[in-house]
Amino acid sequence: MVAVLNKKGFKLPRVEKEKFISLMHLGLDYNREQGLFSIKSCNNIENLMDTIGSILNAEVVFLQTCTRCGKDFPCSNCKYNELCTSKDLPFSCVCPQCLQDRKQYEEYLMKF
Amino acid sequence: MKNDLLWVEKYRPKKIEDIVGNEEAKALFVEWLRSKRRSKKAVLLYGPPGVGKTALINAASKEFGFIVIEMNASDTRSEKAINKVAAPATSYVALDNFSTRSNGNVLFLDEVDGIAGNEDRGGVGAIIKIVEDSLVPVIMAANDPDIDKLRPLKKVCLLVRFQHVRIPLIIALLQKICLLEHIKAEFEALERIAQNSRGDVRSAINDLQSLSEENHVLTLQDTMGLSSRNKDISMDETLRGFFSVKSMADAQKLLSYSSVDYDDFLLSVSDNLPKRFTNPGELAAAYDYVSRADMYRGRIGTENWHLLKYFFNEMAQAAAVAPQSYKPFELISPPIRIITLFWTKGKRSMLDGICGKIGAQCHVSHAIAKQDFVPFIKEMLQKKNAAARIAEWFNFTSEEIDFLVKMNKY
Repeated sequence: MVAVLNKKGFKLPRVEKEKFISLMHLGLDYNREQGLFSIKSCNNIENLMDTIGSILNAEVVFLQTCTRCGKDFPCSNCKYNELCTSKDLPFSCVCPQCLQDRKQYEEYLMKF
Repeated sequence: MKNDLLWVEKYRPKKIEDIVGNEEAKALFVEWLRSKRRSKKAVLLYGPPGVGKTALINAASKEFGFIVIEMNASDTRSEKAINKVAAPATSYVALDNFSTRSNGNVLFLDEVDGIAGNEDRGGVGAIIKIVEDSLVPVIMAANDPDIDKLRPLKKVCLLVRFQHVRIPLIIALLQKICLLEHIKAEFEALERIAQNSRGDVRSAINDLQSLSEENHVLTLQDTMGLSSRNKDISMDETLRGFFSVKSMADAQKLLSYSSVDYDDFLLSVSDNLPKRFTNPGELAAAYDYVSRADMYRGRIGTENWHLLKYFFNEMAQAAAVAPQSYKPFELISPPIRIITLFWTKGKRSMLDGICGKIGAQCHVSHAIAKQDFVPFIKEMLQKKNAAARIAEWFNFTSEEIDFLVKMNKY
């Protein structure tokens, strides 16, 4: 099973204190008001994903934000997924639609 | 060559948002640099080459009005050298803060993982001291932060990790350059360049320039040569091709397609030149070019890859000193120096162990033990009445005694 998470905020089931502290150490942040976790530091992202995966009992995938259109999309949509050496991090990339659409890109460049 | 003729220079990011990829790392670094009350006085940006670490530092410093004082890998970074350059730069708030819009200095130490050996002795300790006392931000960059000697440095730094830039982002950047350079490029061609770069933006831009600058048209067919770089032409093939080239252009082409380690290649060429050129005049000319190539290799380090063309040029000239005189010969490969080090590794470690024991007993360094003590101990071990006492006092094993008695080089 694959759990697709949004790095800006996601929910996790209640975890015990030690696990919560370990998540904070690995780079998560917790918003008490909204009850949402978010990624604060990416230096231990592999360990963090393993820990979250063990909590959710699923493979964890983070959504990517397209730098051109701003939409969120999972890495599984990308045809370079197998070749990618930096899966899941950083959290921004170019979505397959924007990459193929040259006209849209030229319009995007004209803004600068 | 003018800088603006090199696309990597021409399209070097001028603003933070020009840097492709690594958004989280960029945000973390910018937040640290802008902050008035930094939790850590120093930051260490680490990650593979060509992903924008140095570019980000330069762009961000410019954007926030800092003057970058840089010490890179080509400078000696011993304790003395660091204290001479970095200490004044970090001890005072610059006077021009009051007269210009400058926010002061930032100290930038590039390739800190390259601080090594006797030349840079005490360098890491000096940097830590600088960081602790510094009044200005200290920025460091490294490719490999996991080496042991950087461990104490990592404790005083905010760590910012950079990743390989992804293929879609590199394609997007190449599309932008094509648009600005009026190049009609097939998407598949850009895709191949991006894949071939393995996340290194700099090499992708260099490939794009070399393939499309002349014709302003780039097809998938044009990029077929790139696949040979991925195929990893072996050292043996590269050497054979190198010594049998008919012209400088052939040699340059071969070098640009090969992915051999340039240091090993340089040593191998150096070892094989006497076999290739039997005429002393030709041999001297070839060695002259190789020595200049070696000089450029030293200047390139791990950062100044724009000098690679000069390295290729000098090597190509060495290969093409006398193309007509080529006769097939048996190559020496790998380089003699590496073979020697390999074969003598056991002996060297044995001698190191012996010197360690001498050093512990006599309170001298390894070097003194090797130079001043070993010859005498060898002599004494050959005297029957003294040998047993000497061996016992130094706690030598029978192999070590045997080694010392039979050794003829100190």
